[in-house]
Amino acid sequence: MPQQVLAQASSHSSPPATPQPPPPRLRQATRKQQEKDTQHREREPPPPPPPMAAVDENEDLIRAFAGMGGLGVDEAALVSAMGRWRMQPERRAQFRRSFHGFFSVSGGAAAGIERCEDEYLRHLEVEFARLKDAAVLWAMHPWERDARWAHHALHHHGGAPAGVALVEVACTRAADDLLGARRAYQALHHRSLEEDVAYLLKDPNAALLVGLVTAYRYEGERVSEELAAEEAKALAAAVVKASPAAKLVQNEQVVRILATRSKPQLRATFKIYKDLHGKPLEDDFVGEPCLQEAVRCLYSPPKYFAEVIGRAFMDDADRQAKAALTRVVVSRADVDMEEIKDAYAKQHGAKLVDAVASNTHGHYKDALLAMIGK
Amino acid sequence: MATNTVSQVVPSAEDAAALLKAFQGWGTDEQAVIAILAHRDAAQRKQIMLKYEQMYSESLMQRLQSELSGDFERAMYHWMLDPVERQAVMANAATKCIQEEFPVIIEIACANSSAELIAVKKAYHVLYKSSLEEDVAARTTGNLRIACLLQLLLALVSTYRYDGDDVNMGLANSEAKIVHEAVSNGTTDQEELIRIVGTRSKAQLNATFICFKDEHSTSITKALPHGADPTGYLRALRTSVRCLADANKYFAKVLRNAMRDSGTDEDSLTRVVVMHAEKDMKGIRSAFQRRSTVSLEEAIAKETSGDYRSFLMALLGS
Repeated sequence: MPQQVLAQASSHSSPPATPQPPPPRLRQATRKQQEKDTQHREREPPPPPPPMAAVDENEDLIRAFAGMGGLGVDEAALVSAMGRWRMQPERRAQFRRSFHGFFSVSGGAAAGIERCEDEYLRHLEVEFARLKDAAVLWAMHPWERDARWAHHALHHHGGAPAGVALVEVACTRAADDLLGARRAYQALHHRSLEEDVAYLLKDPNAALLVGLVTAYRYEGERVSEELAAEEAKALAAAVVKASPAAKLVQNEQVVRILATRSKPQLRATFKIYKDLHGKPLEDDFVGEPCLQEAVRCLYSPPKYFAEVIGRAFMDDADRQAKAALTRVVVSRADVDMEEIKDAYAKQHGAKLVDAVASNTHGHYKDALLAMIGK
Repeated sequence: MATNTVSQVVPSAEDAAALLKAFQGWGTDEQAVIAILAHRDAAQRKQIMLKYEQMYSESLMQRLQSELSGDFERAMYHWMLDPVERQAVMANAATKCIQEEFPVIIEIACANSSAELIAVKKAYHVLYKSSLEEDVAARTTGNLRIACLLQLLLALVSTYRYDGDDVNMGLANSEAKIVHEAVSNGTTDQEELIRIVGTRSKAQLNATFICFKDEHSTSITKALPHGADPTGYLRALRTSVRCLADANKYFAKVLRNAMRDSGTDEDSLTRVVVMHAEKDMKGIRSAFQRRSTVSLEEAIAKETSGDYRSFLMALLGS
């Protein structure tokens, strides 16, 4: 056995036939690596290749570990492998050798050991933590949840991502829930949310964000069509006046309208704008992501959330886009999940439950499906 | 602490009957009306209104409005409202002529605790089917001159201040500097000042004001430029700073100004007495007496007359 390992190691340390891959996306990486892997094996002299069954097992476990670019890990497969390969360290070594993206053979002092690539260690941590995060968030009171998200966005991200997170919380929650989140924020951090937003975000979006976060909108259905027409005109005038020097997000009229009017009133205004100008308002807010977000969230939260979920499933979704999946499902499961499912079906032509089932793995997948419901 | 005395015993049916008796015949027995209504708290007044309507099939408020007149009638109308609704009604009236009446909005926004302000805003939703912030902000349309004033008002009205005593002295120092800069700028570049006054907790603001005074040996209100104030922004700023720092002192000043010189500003007088009689009038009275040679009751007695005077006196507990 040790000779096998050493033989492999020495053949690896000869001039690298396979160049080091750049930090790849996990899904494509493992496929490419598996191709290179088979090429490599052909060039090599024996040691005997692992039996076919073992190769399949390896691939299964690779899939389970990596989530193949999806979200979550297949805990069941991992546990079963742990059982099957009990007392067989060489099986595990074989697995490590065939999983090129995750493990690489190191030279020098640690020769012969396949060590984990740091990047993929972090990936593993995130993927294993997905279920834990979902569970903790699910158990929290919605107000505390929102307060913690807002605080995290302000203090760990800042800039554009903070703005987007704040807009989401401020515009998609009911007036009393937003107020509750502000109360929870005070209890947790001994300052008001608006203090921190105004103080920490020094960018042009600050005025809009403070306005949105402090809004206590009228929640009734009464709408004035006259007022909606008037404000649609005011918004159009503001769009015309905008320039790179005088951004729309700093225009007082725009901020005032978006931050104080009730949601039904705003929807009427947006509708009139669309009728007058042939395109929805957010198209004219190009280049101002916070404003676009605000309009989308205020107009139709289900549509907005369906888009966010869709982005989490795309191939190039980054860590924040993927984390959004947990956030949306946990926070909307009790609110408007049915509408989100409808909106998702309309946007992507597939049912949300199917998309979640095929893109996520393990207990994380089960948790999401349980919260989404049939 | 409240100043009006409240009787615990009389059932509302008796009160309603007594009121009807006071209304009957030619003229009204205003003293009887005052004797009853000035000595009932909010819950009792509500009961009386319900009982009266039940017994006599007419609204007590409407009857009062037709039987009484002038300043007395206005005072009684506001007194009969539920305390939270009262503030919402006054705020709404103020938004209609905001450039003159903005102090009312500032008082409501700054003298109340965060929870009380939320209650007022909720009542506003129910009464007017729109939010207070909307109505304050909507005055900007077509009136860019008063934009600064409205920004300040909107910030004051929307905020939900932290209610606790935590203070960060380093922050207070740095913000005192920012305030000083903004104050020397006149009326331009006021965003930072509005942000500070509009979001920080009252404890934090007081610390900031103290740092300002230590640093520049004058208080903020004295440091603000006096003189030309076409938009009212400076006056609003002064009002909000005073109200946030020491509400009792501020209201005592409002009362003093209302009764100064010839003529009395009955609207302000009514507003302060009626809004605070069952809340914190005692504190306001002490603040008034600290800076005046006469007591509050004597001053009011001198400047008002008739049933209006009797009503105010009853509310003040004499």
